[in-house]
This record gives sequence, structure tokens and C-alpha cells, in this order.
Amino acid sequence: MKIFEPHIHMFSRITDDYEKLGLAGVRAVLEPAFWLGQNRTNVGSFIDYFDTILGWERFRAQQFGIHHFCTMALNPREANDDRVNDAVMEILPRYVEKDSVVGVGEIGLDDQTKKEEKYYIAQLELALRHNLPVLIHTPHRDKKKGFERCIAILKDMDYPMGKILLDHGNEETIKITRELGCYQGFSIYPHTKMDENRMVAIVLEYGIERMIINSAADWGVSDPLMVPKTIVKLNQAGVPEDQIQQLVWANPVNFFAQSGRMNLEELDRPAGFDRRETFDGNSVLRGQDPDR
Amino acid sequence: MVTPDQVLGSLSDEARSWLAQAREQVAADPAANLPVLLPQLPRRLGRDPFVNGEYATDSLRVNLSAWRTSDAGALLLFQSGDVTDEQLLDLYYHGDMEEKAMVFRVATCRPITDATVTLLGEAQRTNTSNHFEAAVCDSNLIVRAVGRSGFGEDDFNRTILKIAFVDLPLARVLDACSMANPELSRMVQDLATEREAAGRRVWRDTNLLIAHAPTAGSIARLAGGLEHGDDAHRLAAARGLAFVKDEKLLALARERLDREPVAEICDAIRTALESTD
Repeated sequence: MKIFEPHIHMFSRITDDYEKLGLAGVRAVLEPAFWLGQNRTNVGSFIDYFDTILGWERFRAQQFGIHHFCTMALNPREANDDRVNDAVMEILPRYVEKDSVVGVGEIGLDDQTKKEEKYYIAQLELALRHNLPVLIHTPHRDKKKGFERCIAILKDMDYPMGKILLDHGNEETIKITRELGCYQGFSIYPHTKMDENRMVAIVLEYGIERMIINSAADWGVSDPLMVPKTIVKLNQAGVPEDQIQQLVWANPVNFFAQSGRMNLEELDRPAGFDRRETFDGNSVLRGQDPDR
Repeated sequence: MVTPDQVLGSLSDEARSWLAQAREQVAADPAANLPVLLPQLPRRLGRDPFVNGEYATDSLRVNLSAWRTSDAGALLLFQSGDVTDEQLLDLYYHGDMEEKAMVFRVATCRPITDATVTLLGEAQRTNTSNHFEAAVCDSNLIVRAVGRSGFGEDDFNRTILKIAFVDLPLARVLDACSMANPELSRMVQDLATEREAAGRRVWRDTNLLIAHAPTAGSIARLAGGLEHGDDAHRLAAARGLAFVKDEKLLALARERLDREPVAEICDAIRTALESTD
């Protein structure tokens, strides 16, 4: 079974994680730009971080046959920080045009402040200008109200809901989002947001239409294998294989392919495949054996 | 060198039209437009191999077989406007994985400047193998750069040592052997000794490179190379013979010829023997 892990912060993970992801069937990962566990003090730190997830992280993933995509954004937590917020907004138009950027995100609300709303709206507009789908982070605290506020703003803007992924959902929020026409994300965590068994219950009750599951693994206590582990639980609960495949591959691929920047033919092959290797039989072009 | 016809001929109508507009935009304002247009090249023009062949002028050589259509498109974009070294470096520093590779490929076709030296420094420090390859391989850029302030023989040697370290073929660094020197031979021999002690594989072009500028231990290594169990090492040693012209080594090569099972290696030994007759 091919897996698209649509929310994982590989910046904070080690190569063992890539190896395990590859062995578990993960063919592609998406790394949303987010907070790094501590606040940044200047825009240069953002630039270095963006450059890393556009370049080095993509190279690391390829070494394990995994395609690496990302979304770009000023995250809601640091939207509150005047040392960086406007400066990051200034550089974003250049960064959202990068080759592996397939969306704008994580934007949204965290502490649900006025400043967060201001930059949330500005980045929704940015996504429209660049024709990109949007990954929305929703608050950890006062979550239901935060979901409702995120949605109210989208409705005020008459935003195309098919281009929205509302992430970090739970049993309460799906009641609000299921009729909206947006994609609904669920982050399966070891102890907090959502666990595998609760996710199985949600799938059994609501189905898999426009549903997306992810590990949201980052620098905290989290598990990059939560999607494969949830697949096992779904399988044991009798969810048909084709539905599971849609949940963990077709749904996220279809959502981010709205960027027009995902080559589905290339996604069918493991990453790192280089056509120059066989170009005109010219094997002299290659030489490096990464195992050595 | 890379002509618009070569690039445009392989493109769809949509891609051709996009590239024509992009070139106009770069001509009008490279500083404003290149940062947004460059990252679009791979998805607009594709990543397919470009053409098979080499471009050469008096001093510049580039093997286009290693290029992709997007690399050639990048060169066309750069040629459409007056792109300064500052802009070139800005595009590198803030480029994604594809952009950085394209900037390196483009740099192999530009005159040697301080920016070239800066980029070669970046290439030397990167662990992203395709960036190192794009900067150092498939052209004679590092050979042309030697002598520029900030890039001397020591820098050249360190770059070739990295080629050996990551096991890339020496032939991909065009004209590299013309800059071989005894200190570089010592460096790659020490790497070989370290690898042998660890039971790891040795760079297959070691014998060929040291033959161009032998140092202490080189002749003994070449003699051993002629009897190596790995065909690639024997071939490198056989090809190196013509440059060493050491009588004892040639005698060993004559003796090897009768037992050598690989035709290509036999040919290399015969060529060396004939050239020294």
C-alpha cells in the first residue's frame, strides 16, 4: 500500500525515521512550514529554515526513495511576533513559487488573537494569488471555537472550500466540517490530539470522503509511523483496502495536486530515480554509491 | 553554445510559449523576474535529458549529456538579461534544490569571477551530491578557475579529493588530469590507504590520477594496480602507464599482457607500450 504522509516535520527527525517510513510504504511526505519549538528572533532564521525544507530535507528524503514536498507560511504562533511577522510576509511570494511548494500552510489560529487573524487572512489571499491549496492549523486550546472562527473567516471571504484542509480535527470538529466541502485532517498522536482507535471509530462513522490522516510528527513526543499503524487498525476493523488506500494516498494527493506542481507519473516511482543514469547508455554520468 | 533552437525544439507549445514570455520578462528586469521564474523551470520545461554532446570554446568545455532541459532553459533565461554576479549568488543562496543545481550548471558556462569562487566554495561544503556534481562535474570549470584569487592549486586538490571521496568518475571533471600534481597524488593515495586499512572500496580512478603526477609510493601502487582483482582498478593502472614511462613498470605490464583477460585493459597496456617504444 502506497502512503502519502501529508503532515510531518522531518526537519526535526533523524534518518532512521526516513528509513522506517520508507519500509512502511511511505512514498511521499509533506512538510508544512511551522514553529520550531522556540521562537525565532529575525527573518534570517525563517529564510534558513525555508531553504532547508526546500533543499536539504528534500535531498535527505530522496536518499530513502521518498518524495518530499512542503507548504510555506508564517505560522500562527509567530504571526504574533512583531520581530518577524511582516518580514516573513515580504519574502513569502518568492518562496511559494518554489518547485516543491504545493500549498500555503500551516496558517490559521493558535492562541486566537487579532494578529493571528490578520496574517491568516493575508495568507489566504496569498494562496489565491498563487493558485495554491491551504493547510490550516487549528488551535490546541479552545479548539472548537477556533475551528468555528477559521471557518467563519473563510465564509466571509467566500473561499473555495475544496482548496482548504482543516487539520488537527477530532470527534467534535468533524461535526462542524463534514458538510463544508473542505478536506478534514486528523493528526494521530501517541498521547494527545487523536489516537488510532479513535480514528478508526471516526472512519467507521463518517467514511473517508475528503478525510486525511497524518502523524504531524515533529520535535515533540510523536511517532512518524502513526499513519501505517492506523492502517493496521483500520484493516483489523474491516475497512476495505481500497478505502484505506484512498484515505492514505488518493485523498492527500488529490488535495495537494490542486497546486498543479505534483507530477503524478514521478510519484509512481520511488524518489531519486534519475533518468540520466540510462540516458544514451552513458553510465559515466554516475558513480556515487551512497552505501559506501 | 546552448541555442534557443536546441531548447525550444524539444518543448510542447505551452512550454515554448511560457519560455518565450519568461525570456522577455528577464530581459526587461532580471532582478525582479528571475527569482520567480527560475523555480518554475523544471515544472514548466521538464526534467528530461537535454542533448548528448559537448560544447567547447577555446578554454571552456561543458558536457551537455549531463544537462536536463530545465538546465538549458535556465541558461537561456540568464542569457536573456544582464544577470550580475550578485543576482547569480542571490539565486543560489535562496534557491530550492532544483534552482541551486541550475545555478551551478549555468556557472560552468560563465566567465570565471569572484562569484565562481564563492559558488565552488559552496559546492565543496555541500553534502547534496547532485549540487556538487552540477558544480564540479561535466565541465572544466574548476580547471578554468585555478589561479583566480581565492581558488588555487590547494583548492583544486581539495575538490578532486572530494570527487575521490564520494567515488565520482575522474572523467567527469573535464581536463582534471592536466592539473594533476604530486601533492594531489599523495592525498588520494592516503585516502586509498585509509580505505584499504578499513576494508572499504578504493576510488577506482586512483591509479589513473597518480600516474599523471607520481609521488612517493605511486609506482608501487601502479604495479599493484596491474594485478588488482577489480577490473576498474586494473584499467586505471593500465591507462596510467602511458604517462609514467617507468621501465620496470612497463616490464611488469608486458608480463601482465599475456594473462590479462579483459580486452579493454589489454588495449590500454598495448597503447602504453607502443607510446614508449
